[in-house]
Amino acid sequence: MVSWSNQRKFLILLVFLGPTLLGILIFNIYPISFNTYISLTNRNQFHPNPDCSVGLTGVFEPTCWGVFKEHTTRGLATPFHLQEPIYQNYSDLLGDFFTKPVLIAFFGIVVCFVPLIVAGRINKRFENQIDRPVSAGVVTLLAIALGLVLAYLLKAPAGLDLIMKSGDFFVVSFRTILYVLLCIPLFFIVGLAFALLLNSPNLPGRAFFRVALIVPWAASTVAIMMSLVWKFFFQEHGTINQLLSLVGGKPQIWLNDPTISFGVVILANVWYTYPFFMVVILGALQSIPVELYEAAEVDGANYWQKLVNITLPLLRVAVIPVIILSAITTFQMFGTVWAITEGGPSRGAGTPGATELVMVYAYKQVFRTAAYGRMGAFAVIMFVFLFGLTLYSLRVSRITKGAYD
Amino acid sequence: MKKQTLTLISLMLIASFALAACGTPAAPTEAPTGAATEAPTAAATEAPTEAPTGAPTEVPTAAPLYVPPAECAAGETCITIWHQWSGDYLTAIEQSFKDYEAAHPGVKIDLQKPNDVSAALKVAVPAGEGPDIIAWANDAIGANALSGNIVPLDDQGITMDFLTSTYEPAAVNGVVYEDMIWGLPETQEGIALVYNKDIVTDEYLPTDPMNFDDLLAKSKKFFEDKGFPLFCNQGFKGGDAYHIAPAFFTFGVPTYVDDQGTVYLDTPEALKGMEWLLSIQPYLDQASDDNACRAEMKAGTVGAQWGGPWLLSDFEAAGINYGVLPMGKPFVGIKTVLMSQNAIDRGNAEMALDIMKYYTSAEVQKQLALVNKTIPAQTAALQDPDVQALASLAGFGAALNLGVPMANSPYANAQWGPVGDAVAAIWNGSQTPAEALTAAQAAIEDAVAQMK
Repeated sequence: MVSWSNQRKFLILLVFLGPTLLGILIFNIYPISFNTYISLTNRNQFHPNPDCSVGLTGVFEPTCWGVFKEHTTRGLATPFHLQEPIYQNYSDLLGDFFTKPVLIAFFGIVVCFVPLIVAGRINKRFENQIDRPVSAGVVTLLAIALGLVLAYLLKAPAGLDLIMKSGDFFVVSFRTILYVLLCIPLFFIVGLAFALLLNSPNLPGRAFFRVALIVPWAASTVAIMMSLVWKFFFQEHGTINQLLSLVGGKPQIWLNDPTISFGVVILANVWYTYPFFMVVILGALQSIPVELYEAAEVDGANYWQKLVNITLPLLRVAVIPVIILSAITTFQMFGTVWAITEGGPSRGAGTPGATELVMVYAYKQVFRTAAYGRMGAFAVIMFVFLFGLTLYSLRVSRITKGAYD
Repeated sequence: MKKQTLTLISLMLIASFALAACGTPAAPTEAPTGAATEAPTAAATEAPTEAPTGAPTEVPTAAPLYVPPAECAAGETCITIWHQWSGDYLTAIEQSFKDYEAAHPGVKIDLQKPNDVSAALKVAVPAGEGPDIIAWANDAIGANALSGNIVPLDDQGITMDFLTSTYEPAAVNGVVYEDMIWGLPETQEGIALVYNKDIVTDEYLPTDPMNFDDLLAKSKKFFEDKGFPLFCNQGFKGGDAYHIAPAFFTFGVPTYVDDQGTVYLDTPEALKGMEWLLSIQPYLDQASDDNACRAEMKAGTVGAQWGGPWLLSDFEAAGINYGVLPMGKPFVGIKTVLMSQNAIDRGNAEMALDIMKYYTSAEVQKQLALVNKTIPAQTAALQDPDVQALASLAGFGAALNLGVPMANSPYANAQWGPVGDAVAAIWNGSQTPAEALTAAQAAIEDAVAQMK
């Protein structure tokens, strides 16, 4: 039973929530549903215009709305319409994946990771037992070895190759995941090294270095500019080749080499991001009680033992959210890569270039070939994929635990 | 005390970094909004190509994607023109529009150069904030006629008789699509070898423009004698299907994709062209874009640049003693002025058409030809004795006669990316010519199939 006071309460709540709900509607729900709708149509460079008389098109398409309607362009093209069958764009992108050999290959690769998962479970189970038959490290090593043996037996590299051939989607997402997996440890190692250095009390000019090392992060507001500087280093007539020619080396076209280009975009990204890690780690380092180190020294621990057994475990709480955040931004990497390589070097027509990460790929497809329908489908698949990944990482890190308790 | 000083110094260091970075508008930015992104024609001023690497050279760092039309005083007619002219080339063109304004009080012409015309049009025309006139190469006609950004001029009283009696036949073909007239032709363009007479002596000049074996031999000899390349072509490294075109067409490829959507890339002729490209690779720069080529020409570290008439005003300003040698079969593009849908919406159609006619008239085009060394599409301007006497015209004219007309069908849009990618893959060695051409053929055919 809704009483008068309840209704009033509801209205007041609505007034307070209204602006946010409106914001979510305009900036999240509308674009996502519009995109999903477009992903079911054949909108592309040959069918750019809407047919406003079609129900959903009239609702979603801004040029069909009253104010804009008078200017709606009426070209020679037939308007875009729903695909036949409706999931055509999705099957163009993923279709080859759902064939028997590719699925078998995929399953084979998944199986290779089973030993690692099992090892994780075992280690967790015996976590708090003082006398365990084998140490956690040995179990993990065994699992990795078993995984490699399985990979060899199940021909994982060939399987991966087969999956790659089944669509651009797998090429670019695999490459992006590889990019993230290579970047994150480098962020951490470089950030940790500098943080430890800056934390040592007997470093002369500590304040200066603390600020100077953050410069790359400050410079990320002009990221494109700094990326062009990186590009300039590696150009044919760039800095590195000039230095090489000074010492008598042979100039190279660095950015023509797929592996080197990939290395360069990783290097540039590490340069941008390590200060973030450094600052967070530095803060966390200063919050570690000195008594712990003193106690360890009394026990006769050396620097390395203190680092591994005291510092790193205590940094974990601070570093994991940072890793998740930077993994997300790295996955979405666009500007730096675009400025340095534009997704190149080319590996041929119809194949994503050697540094074409997901965002670069989507951008190129939309703005070079106006493949709206197909890229709408790409975005939807990517969304589902990332959503799953994020949920999983939230579970792992329990980053939001406090909020739900 | 000491610590504070250090902090202060560090802060100033950061500030100087930031300022230094912000205050360098000269650096070419290939920012996400850059011209490099879009449809072929949005790219370079000069070339109707996608030219991802050549394009950004003309793009000012801070140029916004779209600038709304300037405020128009009451009683004035304001005409906005979106164009891709730049540099010395633009100065003379601006003057001709100023002359028009002087002769027609109450008319204001606003010249704008958006970063990425294609992207800007998509947003601006439906919003009613687009230009009245778009100056663009003819390969943009198909796509924009499909989307309705431009309007046929038949409705505005332009007839085929007027076209054929006023403009060169090739230029007329360039503006007619689906039996409708979509624009007025401004100039004809193709590329040829613009060489430095002080560096490239007669012994290094190929005698027959169609003999690419000779070009290869001369390039080899030149490189061995002088230690730097005979010529620089921004398309050879890939990514620029327009500048690489002679390496295909000279070997007998009719065109990349024709008006019916037939693709000619997996042909033996195309394969021969790409094998030739690999054979000449050792004697050329490995990664020069348009800017780098121009800089090398000015520094005298390359003998020639393979480019269009748009190079000449720049070289003249630099005092290079240049000659123009036709080489191979280039793409022949027609620069056109097109009328936007917005001109009709705003009731500016009549005025816009008058300006388009004025700009493509014999007097204006003659004047521009003499200053900018362009090749008018206007027959009377082209036949003018002063224009005929231009040495550059003879060279480029011969190149145009050899060349392949650039199609204006929507399929033309589908060719630039795949051909550019294929050439890049051949140049950097990640694919053999045969593999690359097969892939490019498939990619263009896939795009053409989406028309259905």
